[in-house]
Order: sequence, then structure tokens, then C-alpha cells
Amino acid sequence: MRFFERIAALALLSAAFAAHAHKASDAYVQLTGSAQGLTVRVDIALRDLDAVLDIDADGNGQLTWGEVRAAWPSIDAYVDSHVQVDGCALATPTHALERRADGVYAALSYAAPCVPQAAPPIRYTAFADVDPTHRGIARIALPGQAELVRVLDPRQPQAFAAATPGSAVSMASAAPVIDAPAGFLQEGIHHILTGYDHVLFLMCLLFPAVMRRTPQGWQPLPTLREALWPVIGIVTAFTVAHSITLALAALKWVSLPGWFIEPAIAATIMLAALNNLWPIFGGRVVLVTFSFGLLHGFGFAGVLGELNLPGLQFAWALLQFNIGLELGQVVIVLVAVSAMFMARRTLGYVPVMIRGGSVAAMALAMLWLVERTADIKLLPF
Amino acid sequence: MIRMPLKASCVLVCALLLGPPARAEVLQPRNDAEVVETLPGVLGDRAEERKLRQQWAANPRDPVLAASLARRYLDQARDQGEPRFAGRALAVLQAWPDAGTAPDDVVLMMAAVQQFLHDFDGSAANLQKLVTRQPAHAQAWLTLATIRRVQGRYADSDQACRALSAVPAAALYARACEAENQGLRGEFAKTRASIGQLLATPQLQAATQSWLLTTLAETEARAGRPADAERAYRSALSLRPDDYTALSFADFLMEGGRHAEALTVLKRMTRTDAVVLRVAMAGARLKTADATRDAQQMRDRVAQANLRPQAQTLHAREQAMFALVVENQPARALELARANVGLQREPIDVLLLAQAARAAGQAQAVQEAMRLRDDMGLKDARLDALL
Repeated sequence: MRFFERIAALALLSAAFAAHAHKASDAYVQLTGSAQGLTVRVDIALRDLDAVLDIDADGNGQLTWGEVRAAWPSIDAYVDSHVQVDGCALATPTHALERRADGVYAALSYAAPCVPQAAPPIRYTAFADVDPTHRGIARIALPGQAELVRVLDPRQPQAFAAATPGSAVSMASAAPVIDAPAGFLQEGIHHILTGYDHVLFLMCLLFPAVMRRTPQGWQPLPTLREALWPVIGIVTAFTVAHSITLALAALKWVSLPGWFIEPAIAATIMLAALNNLWPIFGGRVVLVTFSFGLLHGFGFAGVLGELNLPGLQFAWALLQFNIGLELGQVVIVLVAVSAMFMARRTLGYVPVMIRGGSVAAMALAMLWLVERTADIKLLPF
Repeated sequence: MIRMPLKASCVLVCALLLGPPARAEVLQPRNDAEVVETLPGVLGDRAEERKLRQQWAANPRDPVLAASLARRYLDQARDQGEPRFAGRALAVLQAWPDAGTAPDDVVLMMAAVQQFLHDFDGSAANLQKLVTRQPAHAQAWLTLATIRRVQGRYADSDQACRALSAVPAAALYARACEAENQGLRGEFAKTRASIGQLLATPQLQAATQSWLLTTLAETEARAGRPADAERAYRSALSLRPDDYTALSFADFLMEGGRHAEALTVLKRMTRTDAVVLRVAMAGARLKTADATRDAQQMRDRVAQANLRPQAQTLHAREQAMFALVVENQPARALELARANVGLQREPIDVLLLAQAARAAGQAQAVQEAMRLRDDMGLKDARLDALL
């Protein structure tokens, strides 16, 4: 009877209490677009974050600045896996604390290099398992468009994908962890195909691969098989070398300044081209390719830095970017080597392709070298 | 002319352009030991709460564990006026999406949380399911009666009270349930007699006495007997001070123009939205030194809550009171008061509609309030004075 009395009293009173509810748990997602990219700001109440991350390490109910600072990595990881803007990779944020009417919020600010034309779908799943009444309130401001407000229901993260035409495909794809860096494979392919300096370096090394240097000058190789091994050797050396430095630089274990790397890459092209005119590498082409490849890897890493890799999925994104690079490279090598092999017996191959091509490459690399050293613009690309 | 450095002026302009719409102030802690936020207190021990949460996480389909953790969260939500904890209670009950097959305790908790979150229809639907399969479930009937009363559906509430009276152990609650409805319909003498008898029950718990007295106090206020109401309020509060009674008493004092006394009651309470609202209301009338600050605090809370679209309806009662008394915006107050009676129809809600209608000078809205009162069958001397 005593127990029943207590709960009955609570129930009677509760109806009255119901009339005095506060605001519920909301987080705020602000997307602001410009020609340079998208800034994304995510504000989440510390009391909400504590429910999933136990930020209050000593459990005394008082959150100190030290406890919050120690929790930033786990907060970043939580936001990273629960807030995703379609087509925009959110990398490492900057942090701040803000006091709002109902408590203190963690404010995370991201700069993403994407320029969406229409309001992008937001995949939002924060606190879906701890508070079904929680909502994300998104405000989206793109240049020249009226600000949009969207209520994001963490338990229906697909709702906005369906509502926004043209974006359903990417949002419908499965797990969020795999979702975010999906673009990095394409980024890798894109970068090698449009990274003219890397392609040119590779070409300079490959021009003579279908020929043999003899005292009488360049002689065509009789079979493709004989050309294959030098090609594989050169491509493998370049791949292994640039993968090593790409990883080292991306992990921030080794860093070389851009003012050194970019001109140095131009110099590797000049030397590779020069070697086709005068043998300066001797029989050590593979070794030289390897050491020059190390420099190119730092160049790739620079691009990766601009792409703002997501923190938690860093290794995965890096691997994808690298695989993308190699896929692009394989395509280039296959097309170029086949064409060269077929053209190797033509009269013009040696004077036009090897000598002419190498001189042209040297000239181009020379211009790059000047551009990159003096920081001026001479070429349109 | 003061020349502002370019960077500083940009910071200002950018903050205005890009800053979040509700007021947010940047915190810059000076050292690691600085406390930046006080987490809402848990009922009992924080470590114990975490342990319970972990136990539940390991066995999310254990109905006893889930119902007790949900109960704990809901108590906490009520205690602090913090709906986040109601949300957490719901999360704990998510393993049973279908009330038709969920265990009794889970359905009951679900309904209690929905009631707290103002989802009265959802709550009533779940309770109906529960009493259909457990016709002697006293707690379910009692909660259902309360929800129907809040909705202004007195006949439905009576029905639930009668069903409750069929449960022998719940006789006292059944009579109190019926007595409260009688009072709402203007049968004040019957309420007074019933509650008097119930209060004379030997060995009554203080909590039970206290809510019987609160029911009596509210009835006397509607009966136009403020002295009796005040006596009942004071007895209830001296037995067991609770936030509901204190707020109800503060409202009663303000209705009687006793704002300073209301402020004394409110100052002792935790500054939940309901408390800050009333402090701001009393402050505005008394023109206290803190009035501006309290009004601004409430304004900030309202602005932030309204960032969520549709949130306004859920807080329409509080926002209407604020617009009417503090902001002096009767037209807006009327609009909110109208939206509010679509959701809840306690006497205070009808009274608010009538007050806003009068203040806005809208005869048609006054008619509306009168019709609502008559449709419900509510009798309230305070309303009669206005309409």
C-alpha cells in the first residue's frame, strides 16, 4: 500500500508538472556557403554529450575545462560519425564553448572545400539511441539563396535524402563510416589524371622504355615482353616511393615545406627528360625513379591536406586516395606504353617522341621551376 | 569619430551576419580547473545512475530494468523541469515499439513520459490499451483520468475515476479523482466534503495529504473563496513543499495582486522555465531591480526554444503568459493562448485565453473563451468575473 500510494501521488501530480516543460534537447547545425567552400558549425550541449561520452571524467557533476579539453577527440569522433554533409568531407574542427539560454554548448567549426549548388542533404544521427526527442536544427545559407531551416530527426536520417532530388544515391548508401570518405578514391584518380607534373615525369621515364639504348643510338625492342619489365620496374619504384612519403606526410610524421617540394618536382622532370638526351642515370633508372618518387609523394600529400581528411577515418581515406592514384596511374601507363610500343618502329619516334618530347618536357618543367620558385604565374595550368 | 580597426569591425559584422540567431556568449576558460558547466543533478548517486545505465545497456530488453531506469529519468525530468530526461526515459523504452505487446510496466512508463511531453493523445491511447487487457490496473486508470481532465474531457475523466473505484486498494484515489472533477464542474460543496473526509483517513502519508490539500486549494480558488484556498495551500506546503503546489500558490497570489508574496515563494525555487517566467511576471508588475534581467533571461529561453519549428505550441501556455504580462503584447498572447487550448484545457488555460481576449479588446475571442468554458462544463469564479 505504501508503494502504491507513493506512485499514485506522483501520477496525480505529474499531470500538473507536465504543463511546465522546458525546451527539449536541440543541437544546431549551421551551413554557410561561399565560393571558397562551406563552413559548417555544429553546436551541441555539453550535457547531451556527457550522456553518450561521460565527459565528466570524475563523475562529480561539475564539468571542468580540463575535462572538456580531454574529451575533444571523442567529441570530434562522435560528431564525425553522427553528422555528415553529403558531398563534403568534414575534417578536423576548431573548438569553442558557448553559453546559451539552456546551458553550455560545444561549438565545432569545420571548413569543407565543397561548393554545393543546392542545400546538401545532412545525415544526422546524434543521440538517436539516448533521446528520441532530440533534434538537430539546421540552418543552411548558400550564396544567393534564402536561408533554409530544417529539423533533423536522428531516427530518420534518410528523410532529407528522399526529399532532395538528385542526392538520393549517395545518401542511401550504407554505413556512415564508409560513407564519408567515399570521395577520396575519385579524388586520387582525379589528382593523378590532372596532376600534369606527375604524369609528365612518368612519361619522360617511359618514352625510352620501348627502346634500347645502343652505341648506335636508340633501337626498338623486338617484343612487348622485353619492354614490360623496365616499365613494371619504373612504375613500381615510383608507386612504392610516393606511397611511402604520402603516408609519412599525411600522418604528419615527416613534413617538407611546399616551397621546396614543388620546385623539386619540376627539377625531377627536367632531369628525367635530360637523361633521355644524355644518359646521366646510367643503369640506375629504377633507383633514381624511387628517390624522385619520394619527392612526388610529398606533392600528393599537399593535395590531401587541402582535402581535409576526416580525423577518425583518416587511414581509410588515405588508403582510398592512394588506391585512386595508382588506378589512374595504371590507366595512364597502359595507354601510353601501348601507344609507344605500336609507334616505336615509326621513323619519327626517336627524334620526335624521345628527343622532341624530352626537350618539350624540359622546357615545360623549366617554366614550372621558375613559376614555383618565384611564385609567379606563366602557364595557364 | 572613432576609427575601428578593420579586423575588429569585421569580427563584429561577421558575428552579426553569421552568429547563431539566439544569443550565445563565447566562454573562454582560463585554466583546466575552471568549471564550465554544472550537469543536471541526478536523483541519488551519479555513480549508481551510470551503473544502472550500463546494466540496462547490457540487457536492453529486461523490462524491470528498463522500467526502473525510465522511472528514474522521468522523476528527474519532473524534478528539474528538464525534458531531456524524459527523452532518455523514452530511449530506454524503445526496445518495445508496440504497446500492444509490451509488458505492462513498460506501457505505463511510456504513457507517463508521453504525458510529461504533452503528447496527451498518445499517452491516453497507450493507457487505453493497458486497461483493456488489465481492467484492474489502478495506476493506469488514475493517469488516464488525469489526462482526460487536463484535456477538459470531464465525462471521460469521470469514467476513468469510476473504473478506478472498482479496484478495492485504490478507493481513496478513486474518491479524490471524482471529487476533483466535481469541483471543476462547480459542485464545490461536494468536493469540500469528500476531501475533508479523505483527509480524516487515519495514518495518511504526508504526500497524499499534501496533494489532497492542493486539490482543495485549487477548488476553493475557483469557488471564489481565496481565504480558504490560501489556508489549504499553506497547509499543503507545510506538510510537503513541492514545486507543483508552490507554483500553483504563486499563480494564486498573483491573481490576487499579491506579487511581492508570490516572489517570496518563487525565490526559494530552482529557476526552471516555469519559475523564471513567474519571477519575470511578478518583477514586471512590481518593477523590481532584477525585472529587466529576469525578463531577458526568459526572452532568451523562449527565443532558443522557438528555434525548433513547432516548439511554440508545446510552450504556448508559458509563452502566452509572458507575452501578456511581461511583453505587453496582448495580440500575440491571444494567438498563443488559442493555440494552447488546442492542446490543454486546465482552468488556467481557459483563464489565460479570457485574459488575453480581454487585453486584446477582441469581443469575438471573449465569446470563444465563454463557449469553451460552457462546452467543457467548467465553473470558475475567476472566469465568470472576466467573461
